[in-house]
Amino acid sequence: MADIHLDSAVLAGLQDIMEAEYPLLLDTFIADSEERLRLLHEALANSDAHELRLAAHSFKGSCSNMGAPALALLCKQLEDDSRNADVLVEAPAVLEQIEREFAIVRILLKSERQRFSSL
Amino acid sequence: MAITSLPSSDGQELTIRIQGRFDFGAHQAFRDSYERINFTPKRYVVDLDHTTYLDSSALGMLLLLRDHAGGDHAQISLVNCNADVRKILAISNFEQLFKII
Amino acid sequence: MDARLSILIAEDNAADRMLLSSIISRQGHRVLTASNGLEAVAMFDQEQPDLVLMDALMPVMDGFEAARRIKLKAGEALVPIIFLTSLTEGEALVRCLEAGGDDFLAKPYNRVILDAKIKAMDRLRRLQATVLEQRDLIARHNEHLLNEQRVAKAVFDKVAHSGCLNAPNIRYLQSPFAVFNGDLLLAAFKPSGGMHVLLGDFTGHGLPAAIGAMPLAEVFYGMTAKGYSLSEILREVNAKLKRILPVGVFCCATLLNLSFQRRIVEVWNGGLPDGYVHRIATGERLPLVSRHLPLGVLEPSDFNDACEIYPMELGDRVFLLSDGVLETSNPAEQLFGESRLLNVFAANRQPDLLFDEIQQALSAFRGKAQDDVSMVQVCLVEAESLPRPPLAFADSGQSSPLDWAASFEFRAQTLKRFNPLPFLLQLLLEVQGLRLQGGALYSVLAELYSNALEHGVLGLDSQLKCDAPGFAHYYRERTRRLAELDQGYVRFHLQLLPEASGGRLVIKVEDSGTGFDVQQVLERQRTAQSLSGRGLGLIRRLTERSTWAADGRGVSVEFSWNDQA
Repeated sequence: MADIHLDSAVLAGLQDIMEAEYPLLLDTFIADSEERLRLLHEALANSDAHELRLAAHSFKGSCSNMGAPALALLCKQLEDDSRNADVLVEAPAVLEQIEREFAIVRILLKSERQRFSSL
Repeated sequence: MAITSLPSSDGQELTIRIQGRFDFGAHQAFRDSYERINFTPKRYVVDLDHTTYLDSSALGMLLLLRDHAGGDHAQISLVNCNADVRKILAISNFEQLFKII
Repeated sequence: MDARLSILIAEDNAADRMLLSSIISRQGHRVLTASNGLEAVAMFDQEQPDLVLMDALMPVMDGFEAARRIKLKAGEALVPIIFLTSLTEGEALVRCLEAGGDDFLAKPYNRVILDAKIKAMDRLRRLQATVLEQRDLIARHNEHLLNEQRVAKAVFDKVAHSGCLNAPNIRYLQSPFAVFNGDLLLAAFKPSGGMHVLLGDFTGHGLPAAIGAMPLAEVFYGMTAKGYSLSEILREVNAKLKRILPVGVFCCATLLNLSFQRRIVEVWNGGLPDGYVHRIATGERLPLVSRHLPLGVLEPSDFNDACEIYPMELGDRVFLLSDGVLETSNPAEQLFGESRLLNVFAANRQPDLLFDEIQQALSAFRGKAQDDVSMVQVCLVEAESLPRPPLAFADSGQSSPLDWAASFEFRAQTLKRFNPLPFLLQLLLEVQGLRLQGGALYSVLAELYSNALEHGVLGLDSQLKCDAPGFAHYYRERTRRLAELDQGYVRFHLQLLPEASGGRLVIKVEDSGTGFDVQQVLERQRTAQSLSGRGLGLIRRLTERSTWAADGRGVSVEFSWNDQA
């Protein structure tokens, strides 16, 4: 599961639910995720474990809804790590991984969006 | 409390059997036992063999049955009365209205 | 049933919020959204949604606090809150429950599960609404019922307590709401100074049990005050209850007629447990057994008003109880029963403590206090020791007749079934001057009449009543001879004479009997205190003048009054 960047079955379901608003959902997720990433960096810079955990939790939830299991798993790891402030040493590396994974997901979603618009 | 009614094979007699407490809680079931039948019995038998308790509401219900069965012309027997039930019937002098066996 | 709900989604993540909104509106519900707890609470205030989907972790105000506030605002109504959270964190789940959460939904969202949860919560919500509605309805009905009972009880208390239950020779025990258990206790002085007592028990509970008590009390008090006999009251009560009560509703009752002068009690018991005459001298307890069907069962033509008569001595008591005493049951569903009651009797040493001892025995048997039993104890005392209430009259007596005479002859067929005393008393009490001595007048009339009837017309020898068996024999004979009577008469001659400052009443009574030796009877009166013949002394004491014809077949008594007095 962890090696799946974007689950096409989940996307099909979302498309079914959202109908015409499907591309808007994709755009919203991308914009929202960028905001989450910004918050994660900020929390880490402030060594604020609590904020880090909240942002990771929230990001994890929407990743699972959007069918990005690898990204969701990384968020969960960050959320779990930040539960204990002493382990924040691990966090920068995990956040780095999240950044890389999101970059992939972002590209895949953009192309999904284009595919839908061309239908 | 359970009330069952059973016609005799010739359809002349209806036996109503009362199990457990015979009190106000039995009101509807007792009425149903003689109203919800599709024949007209000549005689009624109320079997109190398994009746554990009988109060004044039950005496009232017996009077309703008597009224239903023709009042002074009603033929109703109260059978298998235990000592307690018999005592209650005796205090009320119901032997003047019912055949108590 | 309208399945369209108004659902509030509180979720800070825009994509999740959008997705959830779409799922829910596709399911046909109206969607409201909030992006943090504070917004959610404000939206709840504004829109009163039926159900809330609440993310746990949100900025500004988290879902736990928002859930608490919304539950508080919803009050008794159920507004289900489903927390949107993954089911992995046990501690968080506990916090959701503590905040008032009703269910959880994990991400990623599943449409089918979400739909099922919304439907289940909606059913729960409607169930709660129905329960609350029914609870309020029951509370209103109960309030209504209690109010009706209060009014009914107030009216009933006015009727029931118009009697003499507070007389010093009566002790009774009854719950204030006994009438709603069907229990009824009445007592009233007769015009002659004796007393009628009734203990009744209507079938059923609540208002239906109480409803028959009103007419019964009215008849009992009305007829007792007018001087009617126990048998006449019984006939009237039975006929009235038979007429007005539905089949199956009746009144088990014991009625007593106590004559303090004659020292007897007349008893009629239809359907109540044994009462008792307790003889203080011997400690003996005579059971007063139910001999009749309850009141309101038989047609008037079939009704049996036969009473039993027992002699009593000063201090003897009559004890009556309702079946609540015998039917008190313990946790094992055993009944207290007669034998346990008789044990209490046997152990009783002081008659005045009997009630307390019975109550203690009931409480010990039942394991808690018993409040729906009725008991009454009436003691035979000297008539003079009891207060006699003045007779009540509806008119002012201004048009009082003063100068007249009338004669009545009551013959065999009438004597058998008609009691002329209430009729004569009503007539005489039209005279205002006689009203103050109405009680004495009635006592004397009653005594003269029973002497004329029993010793004269029926030829019964009062010496028969010298002991208890003879006493019973006397009254059996009285019943038998009266039933067989085909000739004879009792005559009343009433003469009213105006005087300078008042007036005078002369009553002459004659009968068809063979007469008696006046001197001998009066002599016996002075020397012996037997069960018989207290009557002549009473007449001499209560009238201004009394003279017997030499042959003992007629008597003349006089009452006078002074207007200035």
